[in-house]
Amino acid sequence: MEKTLTVCPYCGTGCKLNLLTENGKVVGAEAANGRTNEGELCLKGYYGWDFLNDTNLLVPRLKSPMIRREKSGKLEKVSWDEAIEFASSRLSSIKANFGSDAIMTTGCARGAGNEANFVMQKFARAVIGTNNVDHCARV
Amino acid sequence: MSNAITEIKDAKCLLIFGYNAGDSHPIVAKHILQAKANGAKIIVCDPRKIESARVADKWLQMKNGSNMALVNALANTIFAENLQDQAYIDKYTDGLEEYKKIISTYTPESVATITGLAPEDIRSVARLYATASESMILWGMGVTQYGQAVDVVKGLASLALITGNFGRRGVGCGPVRGQNNVQGTCDIGMLPNIYPGYQKVTNDAVREKFENKWGVSLSPNEGYKLTQMNHLVHDGKMKAYYIFGEDPAQTEADLAAFREMMGKLDLVIVQDIFMTQTAAMADVIFPATSWGEHEGVFSCADRGFQRFNKAINPPEGTKVDWKIFSLMATAMGYPMSYENTKEIWDEIRSLCPEYAGATYEKMEGLKSVQWPCTDEGDHDLGTSFLFEGNKFTTENGRGQLFASEWRPPQEIPDRDYPLVLSTVREVGHYSCRSMTGNCSALQTLADEPGYVQMHPLDAKSHGIKDQQLLWISSRRGKVITRANYNERINIGAVYMTYQWWIGACNELTIENLDPITGTPEYKYCAVKVEKIDDQSWAENHVQVEYSALRNKLRDVAKG
Amino acid sequence: MNQFVFADPNLCIGCTTCTIACVISHQQGSDYELTEKSFVPRLTVIKNLDVSTPVLCRQCDDAPCAQVCPNNAIISEDNHIKVIQERCIGCKTCVVACPYGAMTVVTTTVAKGAESSLFKAEKQTSQALKCDLCAHSDDGPACVRVCPTNALRLVTSEDLDQMNKKKQLAAASAAGDVISFEYF
Repeated sequence: MEKTLTVCPYCGTGCKLNLLTENGKVVGAEAANGRTNEGELCLKGYYGWDFLNDTNLLVPRLKSPMIRREKSGKLEKVSWDEAIEFASSRLSSIKANFGSDAIMTTGCARGAGNEANFVMQKFARAVIGTNNVDHCARV
Repeated sequence: MSNAITEIKDAKCLLIFGYNAGDSHPIVAKHILQAKANGAKIIVCDPRKIESARVADKWLQMKNGSNMALVNALANTIFAENLQDQAYIDKYTDGLEEYKKIISTYTPESVATITGLAPEDIRSVARLYATASESMILWGMGVTQYGQAVDVVKGLASLALITGNFGRRGVGCGPVRGQNNVQGTCDIGMLPNIYPGYQKVTNDAVREKFENKWGVSLSPNEGYKLTQMNHLVHDGKMKAYYIFGEDPAQTEADLAAFREMMGKLDLVIVQDIFMTQTAAMADVIFPATSWGEHEGVFSCADRGFQRFNKAINPPEGTKVDWKIFSLMATAMGYPMSYENTKEIWDEIRSLCPEYAGATYEKMEGLKSVQWPCTDEGDHDLGTSFLFEGNKFTTENGRGQLFASEWRPPQEIPDRDYPLVLSTVREVGHYSCRSMTGNCSALQTLADEPGYVQMHPLDAKSHGIKDQQLLWISSRRGKVITRANYNERINIGAVYMTYQWWIGACNELTIENLDPITGTPEYKYCAVKVEKIDDQSWAENHVQVEYSALRNKLRDVAKG
Repeated sequence: MNQFVFADPNLCIGCTTCTIACVISHQQGSDYELTEKSFVPRLTVIKNLDVSTPVLCRQCDDAPCAQVCPNNAIISEDNHIKVIQERCIGCKTCVVACPYGAMTVVTTTVAKGAESSLFKAEKQTSQALKCDLCAHSDDGPACVRVCPTNALRLVTSEDLDQMNKKKQLAAASAAGDVISFEYF
């Protein structure tokens, strides 16, 4: 069994925990002695990891890029290259036709982390050219 | 939070205002219990008898929507009884005259009807708070999710100012943040008016610094807020929406209006780990790696930067979030590439003076660095409490006293919709539930259609039995949910948690935005409940609808 | 004397971490999959107007559940009250007898006979479920281990002796403060 020290993804307390893994699967979580949690966890910290094992209890995991070619059409799986090309060309054309401020971006206050959000707002500000950056802090 | 979570136990008085730690942050609740064990007086202002109220020295069961009136009356009492720290006010604050003018009319007697509180109870709380040697205020969504939210936040901070409760251990103000990294998204500038590190986009010198670093010219104008989207889309000004790791189709107020807006956009890009209701509406889906599959830094509620690590390999076909943005940037003509998160973090540090000293090395293992941490040297390990020496982050460095007249909530109960609906948290679920709903134990502990917590007397007057299914509706929508008799609930109000698909309380909520933050009034709208006579039909209906929704998302995911 | 798990209602925050810990500790096999049917915690977190606290078996030394069991399925062993599930017939008399509401009888239907058998039959099997102090685990009761506020404790006879000594000392000092025989 291996242990990986990490931070609980569920609330703002910032509890440190060890994820226990075996053969590439998560098998448990135990409390670590972090600054704020001092060796304790709540039910979400102890029992909130098995979504990583693709349980598909509520919602399926996304494993392939998808695009909807026509508004009335359905989502279809495509390669990463095609999805990036599709999305970037449409964003560029909206930017060209309606201006940068016609594009809204929202960041992720959950498991993504600060670095991912930094790169997103840099993408919005430096590439799209807008300060239309927000997130669900209000929810 | 101005002071560390770990300083809660150093306080001698805790004023807990619209914040239910027991359900939203059990580990913070532990710190509150420790404070009590250390002899702190506990004051709870909340319409429900929440867990902290049960052990409180003083519980003010105020009416929903009366926050500003109560805060003003507390301030009024403090001055009326001469309990303020006048030397502190004179030395470190501005705006006293204007402040006193407003609060002077808010005697405890004058707010008795609005708050539902006995004047003597308000007075005794004001005395406890003002006379303790260290007083700390904790608040949560019970303050911020009202149409009048920022005013109350400033009002609470002013209570701390007039009693000299800043700049020391065990004092200050703690808005305890809900989502694990919502402090981080603010820290990192996921807001339309600031760059990372709380630097204004309208400040020329700041903008120039970012322009030089990134090699492009940047917009000098503040961006739009998320909550303005609806109007902008209807006016044809907003055409595309790139949603990263959120499920607004579950979490926004007034969901019917939200879905209509999504249908009008030319392009919706969703980057997520699960096929959420929002992802199912997208034109482009980018499958990302999850917590547990990548590493980085989170900011916890008390400004603590902490590193999280990769435990398992992500599923094939997914990509790390920052790599997806880099691919998009490159495809749009701005070549972007990073080796790892450390390289990104170092760029953040180079742009943000407040975080400059918070290196990956200082966050090794169990260690945590609370910003500001300005120096890379080992002597600077961050800041447990802000405003040392009572220097504030205002333009002149002085605390600005603020009071505002109380405004009633927008939609007051009437004959047609006689109950107040307030949306709250489920202890075993998180946000839109896409993660916890896929966890076996948590999913089994609480599942669809969720509950509406009601006082037994309110339920009985509608002929509704405990655990029965019922209809609940507002002027905006109607959903089915299950009655949960709960004596801790105030009569005349009902409470629902917000992650359910069938019992989706946000079909009912109202978009009355705070004028500054744009936060909807999730804590107050008018609803009615109706008994369902055929319970077996209702149970079946819930199961059928639930399966249909699950199957729909599974079908969409198949492509 | 039997040991028992007891919760301090002044420390409980009603978070139900103990409830899940209990269910998972009693899982058959290592698979981490729960259904509504298999989710039968041996403790119940009760929340009323004034109290939040888990309620569970007190491991009564004079166990009424054991006394009334018609099939001798409930015995006192290893410092606690144990159910021998093979003997349980699902009569629920123990549920009626328990003054704490700490006993749950669960009846499930299982297939009887070989997979290939032409005559497949179904059989009812019952279990009386109660706190067993997680006797199967070296780490002791799971609920005690996970409780974030340390509200749950395993109480031993030494703990009770200590508790009594403390109360007796307090009573003695209080008596010294208020009573003096000089005045009698």
